[in-house]
Amino acid sequence: MEDSTGEMVGFYLSHRIGLLVVSVAFMATVLELVRRAHLKERYALLWLAAACGGLFLGLFPQSVVWFSRSFGFQYLTVFYVASFLFLLLVVLVFTVIISKLSERNRDLAQEVALLAHRIARLEGDSDHES
Amino acid sequence: MSRILVIIPAYNEEATIVPVVKSIRTAVPECDIVVVDDGSRDNTAALVRKQGIAELLALPFNLGIGGGMQTGYKYAARNNYDIAIQCDADGQHPAEEIMALVARIEDGTADVVIGSRYVAHSDYRPSFIRRIGKSLLSRWINLFIGGGITDTTSGFRAMNRAAIDVVSRNYPEDYPEPEVLVILHKHGLKVVEIPVQMRPRQGGVTSIRPQGAAYYMVKVGLAILIDIFRRYAPASAKNEGS
Repeated sequence: MEDSTGEMVGFYLSHRIGLLVVSVAFMATVLELVRRAHLKERYALLWLAAACGGLFLGLFPQSVVWFSRSFGFQYLTVFYVASFLFLLLVVLVFTVIISKLSERNRDLAQEVALLAHRIARLEGDSDHES
Repeated sequence: MSRILVIIPAYNEEATIVPVVKSIRTAVPECDIVVVDDGSRDNTAALVRKQGIAELLALPFNLGIGGGMQTGYKYAARNNYDIAIQCDADGQHPAEEIMALVARIEDGTADVVIGSRYVAHSDYRPSFIRRIGKSLLSRWINLFIGGGITDTTSGFRAMNRAAIDVVSRNYPEDYPEPEVLVILHKHGLKVVEIPVQMRPRQGGVTSIRPQGAAYYMVKVGLAILIDIFRRYAPASAKNEGS
């Protein structure tokens, strides 16, 4: 948004209010998910950081103007680029987590097979020879 | 005398598993046999259990060939086998050749022996496209392992104790055979191949469909590059004991 002299002064008021409401609602949702143990604290931190970012922008709209000027973009563009990069980071973190989980999952399945065999042997089951 | 384990990974192989195990039992009665049932939906595990012809490691769900093979190698490591042989459940790998693989390990000239379908004395003839794909892949892999292996996808292999320890800790998940060669090479193990006479599969289907071949090439090709730079799990007490 520009004033009569062509200076950028920050968000429309409606944008600010929208951003604040969404950020607060988002933060509340994340905290509630943690409280109900649907979301682990360590993964909630990433989302809480995002909500704090939204709150910060809503409270201090001049910061976005500063960013826009530094990069030579419209503030909305800065906003989109930042959101996109953040989501990219989130997806990367998730795939790392999934990789680790699937590795543990595989190790556990193998352990189950080895232990089940050992139990059968210790019980002197007729399932095996020797 | 070496203690030898034959590992047979099986996924939905009810048509062939019993005759295959019996042919191995007959050909090499001195070897122990373990069937790794990779969460089959058919009667593979039940048949092995009922017949009592081999030890059975039954995975609770399907892990894919890599996870299945690794289970067998973990079993070999924990039970202190000197030599482990991996052998398909579909009857392609001739049981009579097992001791030929073992001989090269016992005389100390190799850590890993691959039964190859390509070297002289073998009349394995894959389709044209498959031949080109495998040849490209082979050349690529040989760049990284110092050459000398023509049949990089053969699943008929024997490993000594040092190699068993390496693969029980590090095993690729899908299409693992070529990658395992790179991992073994990186650990300084000597891999050789000898010719074996393969038979046509007795039942079941290949896990690599024609439309999957391109994906296979790209996946394995890239995975090998990554293997070169990967840090491997160090030898630890994790897989010992029991």
